[in-house]
Amino acid sequence: MSANASTASTSVAASSGGKKDYSMIALIIGVIGIAIALIGLVMDLTHGEGRVGQSWLIAYGFWMAMLIGMLFLTQLTYLFDAGWAVVVRRQWENAFAAFPWMALILVPVVALPFFVSDSSGAIWEWMDPSFVLPGIHATTVGNDALYIAKEKFLNVPFFIVRLVIYFAVFCGLGSLLRKHSIQNDAQPDANNWLACRKISAIGIYLTAFATTFMAFDLFMSLSYHWFSTMYGVWFFAASMRAGLAGTVILCNLAGTKGWLQGFYNKHHNYFLGCLCLAFTVFWAYISFSQYFLIYNANIPEETFWFNIREMNADGSKNSWWWVSMALIFGHFLIPFLVLLFYKTKVIRNRLMGICGWILAFTLLDMYWNILPKQEADDSVLGYYVQQFIPNVWDIAALVGIGGIVIWATLRSAAKHKPIPLNDPRIKESLHAHQ
Amino acid sequence: MSAKSTYALLATFSKTPEFFQATAKVRDAGFKKWDVFTPFPVHGLDDQMGVGRSKVPIFTLCGGVFGFCLGTLITWYMNGFDYPLIVGGKPFWSPVFPFPVMYELTILNAAFGTLLGMFTMNLLPRHNHPLFEYEDFLKSSDDTFFIVIEKADPQFDLDKTKAFLTEIGAEEVHVVEA
Repeated sequence: MSANASTASTSVAASSGGKKDYSMIALIIGVIGIAIALIGLVMDLTHGEGRVGQSWLIAYGFWMAMLIGMLFLTQLTYLFDAGWAVVVRRQWENAFAAFPWMALILVPVVALPFFVSDSSGAIWEWMDPSFVLPGIHATTVGNDALYIAKEKFLNVPFFIVRLVIYFAVFCGLGSLLRKHSIQNDAQPDANNWLACRKISAIGIYLTAFATTFMAFDLFMSLSYHWFSTMYGVWFFAASMRAGLAGTVILCNLAGTKGWLQGFYNKHHNYFLGCLCLAFTVFWAYISFSQYFLIYNANIPEETFWFNIREMNADGSKNSWWWVSMALIFGHFLIPFLVLLFYKTKVIRNRLMGICGWILAFTLLDMYWNILPKQEADDSVLGYYVQQFIPNVWDIAALVGIGGIVIWATLRSAAKHKPIPLNDPRIKESLHAHQ
Repeated sequence: MSAKSTYALLATFSKTPEFFQATAKVRDAGFKKWDVFTPFPVHGLDDQMGVGRSKVPIFTLCGGVFGFCLGTLITWYMNGFDYPLIVGGKPFWSPVFPFPVMYELTILNAAFGTLLGMFTMNLLPRHNHPLFEYEDFLKSSDDTFFIVIEKADPQFDLDKTKAFLTEIGAEEVHVVEA
């Protein structure tokens, strides 16, 4: 045990130089990416278009899902008193350093539509009462019966208040859990660990509510006529999958080349791999349930959301149909079958490969949820659906926000011990065994 | 009751490290029909014994695939073929509406497969085991480790195997007759 502790502190000293270099590279890439995306966002908004705003939201959804997944996992492992996870937990705590930056990154996409050439309805239509909704019975948002019914909840001031609450939850829980865990490195005290368990017991509810309502506000309200009680659960499932996949990749990179060498082993991979499999099934289960209930009830005010993701006005399949198929087979069936095998979960490259695959499809899932939008035209339906055409702004936003998240994580990793040395269960975690 | 014959040689150990080393030696000597008994789980013993992965997952997979096909078949036969009926404007048969049936039967039959596989691979049920003839068998759940090499092993030779077990550190070697 003491041998492990001394190796830990030497490896901190040895590797912190390299980590700082990587974090600087990530910061530079992040700032450049965000600057490019910001230019695109402003240019788009001057034409009253919201496509780059959607690029921003897709990238934002992807990275935010990963961070929220890690926040859930930290609290879950505290609540279940999971011994194996202690080594991994410090990496999650490092990632929490990105939450305040994520709050900042959300500001442009919410605020800019109000300041650039009166395009307040360009991203979220409901923000502009004079916005003319596409369709054969064209009406403005302000005269739309469905909007009027939802107005008490779906108005800009309350929307902003809610966003502030969500980030108070994420940043608050993240920094509290970090603080106690890091304090414990310098001054071991069982109360730190007890405090984290108490915080987690309350925090898991707060995180669940904040995640659900953030998914409603940021993503579901893009198409505000539609509603699904499963939507928050979908985002939770996406979060857990992205969080686990990101954890596996981070820990294995740090375990082979970085600060986790000698601490992270195949048994940790096995546990994370099992969770990846569980949440692959969970994602499929809730995504299918959402489709299945709407399909069976067959009510037009719900089915349109799936219809625009399947076909054009003339009934022919559009690009989203192929994306849907890719999600069923690529995001569920293939990871499910691959992760069933024991060897996938213990052989490092195989697990990292399938986690990279899951991340790619998580991104596609974000596209599928965020991008299809009805735009007015002369067809029989009065609208056409924005198709699956990735562009350079998507990449800029993805790389930009990712750069900031990675920078914040690496910067925190360079400052603190690679593992929570004095955690009551650290020994159990270092010797974790299937 | 028929006359007793030699069933196996049973070697006892009282210390974990000696026992742990000895298992690897039995494995390397090439014995096939042998087993160990410990009072508590010893991590890494599977590798030490050279035991491969369990075969039970294969039964689970077969059960699951069978259940999925069964669910597909019965929903298609009932709703799409034998008694086509329009319900809620849905097609007579599509993979969507009966999916819960297919899914539930997958789970059910995967569970049956697992149970069946576990019993098959463990040669269960059985009401008695020849090793119970050894009078101190219960010590394996108290403070003693056993290595048991069966007579059915092709390499088994009463004297040579006895000497081998003593050589690898067994404290006592008993002949179990059943």
